[in-house]
Amino acid sequence: MAVMQPLWELHEVSKAFPGVQALDRVSLNIFPGEVHALLGENGSGKSTLAKCLTGAHQPDMGSILKDGEPVTLSHPLEARAHGVAAIYQEFSLVPALTVAENVYLGRPMRSPRLGLLDWDGMRHSTSQVLGQLAMAISPDAVVRDLSVAEQQLVEIAKAVSLDSTLLIMDEPTAALGLGETRRLLALVRDLAAQGKAILYISHRLDEVFRVADRVTVLKDGVVVGSGMAHDITMDDVVRMMVGLEIDQHYPKQRNARPEVCLEVRDLRTENGVNGVSFDVHVGEVLGLGGMVGSGRTEIARALFGLDRPTAGEVRLYGVPLHFSSPADAIRAGVGLVPENRKADGLFYNFEGPPNITISRLRDVLVGPFLKLARERQVAKAYVEKLSITPSALTRSVQYLSGGNQQKVMIARWLYAKARLLILDEPTQGIDIGAKLDVYRVINELTSQGIGIILISSDYPELLAMSDRIAVVRDGRIVRVAPAQEMTEHELLSLASGANGESVKGGARLMIRRGDGPGFPRERRDGWATQE
Amino acid sequence: MEILRKFLRSSIIGPMGALVIAVLIVSMTTDRFLTAQNLMNVSLQVSTVAIAAIGATLVILTGGIDLSPGSAVALTTCLLAIFVKNQGMPVGIGLMLALGLGAGMGLLNGLLSTYGRIPSYVATLANMSGFRGLAFLITKGSPIFSVSPFLEPLFYGRLLGVPLPFYYVVALYGLTYVYLRNTASGRAIYAVGGNESAARLSGIHVSRTRLWAFILAGLTAAIAGVLMTARLNSGSPNYGVGLELAAIAAAVIGGASLTGGYGNVVATLFGALTVAVVQNVLNLNAVPAAWQNITLGLIIVLAVGFDMWRSDIARAASRLIWRS
Repeated sequence: MAVMQPLWELHEVSKAFPGVQALDRVSLNIFPGEVHALLGENGSGKSTLAKCLTGAHQPDMGSILKDGEPVTLSHPLEARAHGVAAIYQEFSLVPALTVAENVYLGRPMRSPRLGLLDWDGMRHSTSQVLGQLAMAISPDAVVRDLSVAEQQLVEIAKAVSLDSTLLIMDEPTAALGLGETRRLLALVRDLAAQGKAILYISHRLDEVFRVADRVTVLKDGVVVGSGMAHDITMDDVVRMMVGLEIDQHYPKQRNARPEVCLEVRDLRTENGVNGVSFDVHVGEVLGLGGMVGSGRTEIARALFGLDRPTAGEVRLYGVPLHFSSPADAIRAGVGLVPENRKADGLFYNFEGPPNITISRLRDVLVGPFLKLARERQVAKAYVEKLSITPSALTRSVQYLSGGNQQKVMIARWLYAKARLLILDEPTQGIDIGAKLDVYRVINELTSQGIGIILISSDYPELLAMSDRIAVVRDGRIVRVAPAQEMTEHELLSLASGANGESVKGGARLMIRRGDGPGFPRERRDGWATQE
Repeated sequence: MEILRKFLRSSIIGPMGALVIAVLIVSMTTDRFLTAQNLMNVSLQVSTVAIAAIGATLVILTGGIDLSPGSAVALTTCLLAIFVKNQGMPVGIGLMLALGLGAGMGLLNGLLSTYGRIPSYVATLANMSGFRGLAFLITKGSPIFSVSPFLEPLFYGRLLGVPLPFYYVVALYGLTYVYLRNTASGRAIYAVGGNESAARLSGIHVSRTRLWAFILAGLTAAIAGVLMTARLNSGSPNYGVGLELAAIAAAVIGGASLTGGYGNVVATLFGALTVAVVQNVLNLNAVPAAWQNITLGLIIVLAVGFDMWRSDIARAASRLIWRS
């Protein structure tokens, strides 16, 4: 298959989002019968590229060609009509329906005579597809009852049944165990052998090298390398992905002091904190490491007054705390920067100033009235201090870049005089420069004596920016150690409960951005809850 | 210059434009609109809807909806009439009591939709039925006329030659404007409507804020009810039918977003005036009530639709400009 016409060609495709150039003149060819792996760190533009092919995004510039003909994919349905099927990490299955119903969702088979739904036909052809893929799943099984891995396979069966010619798989093994991953990779090879083109997006190098024919590496929206898999080594790819700036972007200052800021003793809640004890010192960053569902978010929730503890004691500067709402926690001096800024943090209907003062309005009150001029001054001071873009003062925060938005959130807690700040994934979805800014702000905060609890799935970041690491598993803290004494490897095996067995060969890369086993991306640790 | 630019960009300009356009069209179709007598009638008529629209705006700002003010108005007229005529209470006391009970109706709406976790459109729809039913129950279905000679001056009285309702409307809108813009509680209303989860994580008591908006909405409905009792010197379970729609239309024409968080109470006043002008011209031209209802429905669809389709319209417009 040396000289072949590519099935799909991307030519100099660019796509920008507010504050980020997600794709910068990316060119890529996808051939039938070939597995094309797309590699890159989080935020490198892989998913944006995939979405340009599925019609979910439209490129700002550049062209997309199918069989040499330019096509416009302005809607996912158009992409589907062109034979593109995508399997996302977030499942698109309806849990209450059966496998067959899901596979034929939105395009029911009808019996020729009456025009009624032809369930027998749909069941039959579903079991054919499943059989073809050697999957032991009944078409009548209800999706809710299937394991995550089985659901993933149903997603694939659905994509295959669409008679697609290009299958896009975005981290298809994120939720799978070792055996299931092996089966999936075999399946991918089979599909390629049947002549389908496959765009395989992953972080896991070992996996990629087992399955891919061709490899393209993206970094910050630019193609930094591309070639046949057998011409490239894993080391090359690592160098391309990471670039030269491996460790220099962690300007860690150690500001921890001996005095204790927060004491937690035997904290328990109903939703998965099972007796947790730890201290956070003044000016210290305590990193909470752990998988999704390990209980690290739940610990933070309890400290912020969202879940009521069933037992245990929490003291802030020696004062026992009894929170029953975030308002209580805020009054006591606890702040939270949630993982999802848009959903749980920012008010898009406000400009910067009200976003900053919202948690401590009483300081801009004179009598019962808000002094808007004073509010503006306050905001201006923080804009200067944290080098937030000045347009934050007059425009809705929705138009700010991720980094500026994050700094607005931090300004809110500085203004609210938080003495303990919980940062949940503070650098997710922001670019390198803004990350650096956030790290500098963390240093600034700790130098002022603020204690920080840092939750991050970015393990290198967690290790570099924390003074100590507490590893959480099953709602307990399994180990607390100085961050310098812990390695990524150790952290991962403690967090996953593995003895290190499952972590080998390419594991270093596999956990680079926290997308290792147990980090399915549909994670949404849910700060949004009922009162 | 700066002031002019600010004004042109402000959220009031759209609703103001709607009002101007409505007035222009109306005065072209009939010469009976621009008469001193008719304009006076319109401004008197608009007062009840305008005041109820304040409550509608507050609830919509929190991301909820209140379908009950029409029935709350009816119930208030009946309560006030019974208190004063049947129970022989002084007008002042009956009035206070009626206002308090109106706030109580709002409290009920709020409790059901916050702590009761019943979506506000369902809770207030139920109360829309319930309040009116209650009004029928306590009056046994028949209106109470000639309530008190002291009531009518509240509506028809004048101060410095200007009818009193004008002062009520200006005062209530002024108060609400300051409340929303310059108090912590008003800020909380915008915050809850803009992003409920963020509001909670910022230390705002979300349910309490929503509850408060509903109480204020009940209160404004009751004020509208008192005004209506004064205007007609009677209480009837048949008053205020469709008033909730007019109030919601006023808020929406004023640019309040039904998803919450966006809106301006002064703009709502222009919305209320627009609705009143449209209703007035239909009355002047003796258009049957059925068509008036249809027109109101259409206005709501267009006003909400304009909000929802705004981005599409802008895109289409820019595409047109680009082409030409």
